[in-house]
Amino acid sequence: MSSLDEQREMRRTVAEFLDRQADPARLRTLPPPADGFDGELWRRAVVELGVGALVVPESAGGLGLTFADGALVLTEFSRRLVPGPLLDTMVATAFLSQVDTPSGAALLRRTALEGLSFAIATEEVAGAVGTGRVTETGAWQLSGRKRSVVHGAEVDVLLVTARVDGVPAVFAVDGAAPGVSRIPRAGLDHTRRYAEVVLDGAPADLVDGPGPGRLLDLMWVALAVDSVAAARQCLEQTVAYLKVRQQFGRPIGSFQAIKHRCADMAVTLAGAEATAQYAVQAAQGGGEELSVVAPLAKSVCADAFMVVAAEAVQLHGGIGFTFEHEAHLYLKHAKANQQLHGSGAQLRREVGRLAGI
Amino acid sequence: MDAPHAAVDETFRAEIRAWLARGLTGEFAPLIGAGGPGREHELIDLRAAWERTLGAAGWIGIGWPVAAGGRGASLAQQVIFHEEYARAGAPGRLGHMGEQLLGPTLLAFGTAEQQKRFLPGILSGTELWCQGYSEPGAGSDLAGVRTRAERSGDGYVLNGQKVWTSLAHVADWCFVLARTDPGAERHHGLSYLLVPMRQTGVQVRPIVQITGTSEFNEVFFDDARTGSENLVGGEGAGWRVAMGTLGFERGVSTLGQQIGFERELNTVIDTARANGSLQDPDIHSRIVQAWIGLKVMRYTAVRTLASSADGVPGLEASISKLQWANWHRDLGELAIDVAGPEGLVAVGGAYELSDAQTLFLFSRSDTIYGGSNEVQRNIIAERLLGLPR
Repeated sequence: MSSLDEQREMRRTVAEFLDRQADPARLRTLPPPADGFDGELWRRAVVELGVGALVVPESAGGLGLTFADGALVLTEFSRRLVPGPLLDTMVATAFLSQVDTPSGAALLRRTALEGLSFAIATEEVAGAVGTGRVTETGAWQLSGRKRSVVHGAEVDVLLVTARVDGVPAVFAVDGAAPGVSRIPRAGLDHTRRYAEVVLDGAPADLVDGPGPGRLLDLMWVALAVDSVAAARQCLEQTVAYLKVRQQFGRPIGSFQAIKHRCADMAVTLAGAEATAQYAVQAAQGGGEELSVVAPLAKSVCADAFMVVAAEAVQLHGGIGFTFEHEAHLYLKHAKANQQLHGSGAQLRREVGRLAGI
Repeated sequence: MDAPHAAVDETFRAEIRAWLARGLTGEFAPLIGAGGPGREHELIDLRAAWERTLGAAGWIGIGWPVAAGGRGASLAQQVIFHEEYARAGAPGRLGHMGEQLLGPTLLAFGTAEQQKRFLPGILSGTELWCQGYSEPGAGSDLAGVRTRAERSGDGYVLNGQKVWTSLAHVADWCFVLARTDPGAERHHGLSYLLVPMRQTGVQVRPIVQITGTSEFNEVFFDDARTGSENLVGGEGAGWRVAMGTLGFERGVSTLGQQIGFERELNTVIDTARANGSLQDPDIHSRIVQAWIGLKVMRYTAVRTLASSADGVPGLEASISKLQWANWHRDLGELAIDVAGPEGLVAVGGAYELSDAQTLFLFSRSDTIYGGSNEVQRNIIAERLLGLPR
């Protein structure tokens, strides 16, 4: 997959599927706690489109898309705020594709065959550090707590960062294994479910390879893609509303006070989209630049999304403050994107450190 | 900071890099870092000689067609030229209005005679141009132009005033938007005239800016004359011709401009490190934000260039203008904040300013000239987003 025509065709197929299956009304009128995860849609997307194995190599039975082409599919899901494990699953499988161990290869094959879903668990509860240790039989066991794990109670496999003798490493943990407790937590964000994951001697596979740094880089790039896709949709919907909403006998979009805010959003988003695109290319290339571009892109794109989503609520006026209107879904999703897997402040400090500032 | 390029482009890069390294020695060595926005008043005579040297070596109008005297250089090569020019610290161009604005306008709208008369002077760096658009009553609203041009014999007589005319005091010619039909309103009845600057009917007065220096001028036309052969695009077609000029912007100089920005930012970082203000968490955060902002502009420029075939150049130029003008103005404030109390004192005589002080003051103009932020926002809102007028 590489030509522009093939990319367009793929996007169209995915968009048509989602327009058919993912009626926004169905997703958005579910009151908590039924919200945040559409297992039926995910199952159909895996069966009909193979989205679980987008970037799984063909040799392992996957679609073998590049990360950039996978990002195009993710974009279609993200702009509709489809609540499901695609983002984490794509990141996990992209990471596992760079891992050279039998357990990594087995997980990829199972993903293609059985439609495994993944969650990436990096956030640790203060004071409870994840640790791995080797049992007498040579197998790894993990203990510790991870919080705010997206869809952590719903997915099949958790990719968990942990320290072994102080050195960070990535482990794969079967969500149904003994020693794994997954406590569902109600989320601020209706497009995601959350779980606290408690590991108490949970059996784990060390996923040797490029390490937690690369896993986070891929997650940051995917969150950047998710952010700009949702932000673009949010801006388009807002602009469409401003063209039809009448006050003082004219469309409110004709007022300069509103136009200029929209223009500022468009400029901010254009920069963020270019940044996400650059980061996707860097992720695909896998070069050294990725370690700077990935945290930079996540902070820039999540911030841009937050600006657009917050403005969308304001520019919709009273209707934008209702639960019924979807503006708040973007606002909550944007705030989560800013905080997940490292806040903007943390990532900017990381960028500054890497830039030698 | 180089964008990825093909091998043939790298050969081109090596050629211009070597030429600039050789050229900016000897008598031209003082030109390194001179001129450009905020420093346009510096070393005028030497920079005029530099223009002629550039022209003789074939480095002016490289993107023009070979038939017109250019090199037919690709967009990528034009980007490389601007990058290398900035990286070498080569001086701000005196000839850029002829090369980037008038030349392409004549190629699109000029007669064969006009091209034959004026393009060689631009390409050789021997004739310098200035732009006569803005007036005291026609700034953002350019259609409010009131300068009159009346037919008289075999030519036109001009009366009126232009303002914010960069380099009018060194220019040989001015491309002027003037009203030839006094009864017509707004965009109608305007004509695009080429007017010689060295005549008694043209007076140039420098404008002293908030920096205390002058690089813009007022230009007064008092029965100034030009021949009818210097009318471009026909009488009454002035608006169409002037707007066409804006469509030639392809962003080829953006990456080069960013190399200059990077140099300024690095100077700010060096100062912050030297005077300890980098330890201040707020200053540190603003510096990292500026560093990130510059990267975002770079990624935007790379994307714009990659898609320039199907992009809408005018709109991308508006996005780019807002991006860099705001970024640069913020950098000016950061530079003076990093300097601290030391930045409040002039470095030399009466009002001799440091680089940080000049950056702080001159960058206030970035968000005004070339289409103010407010005008750019209107353009984006109405033409890109389709919001109603």
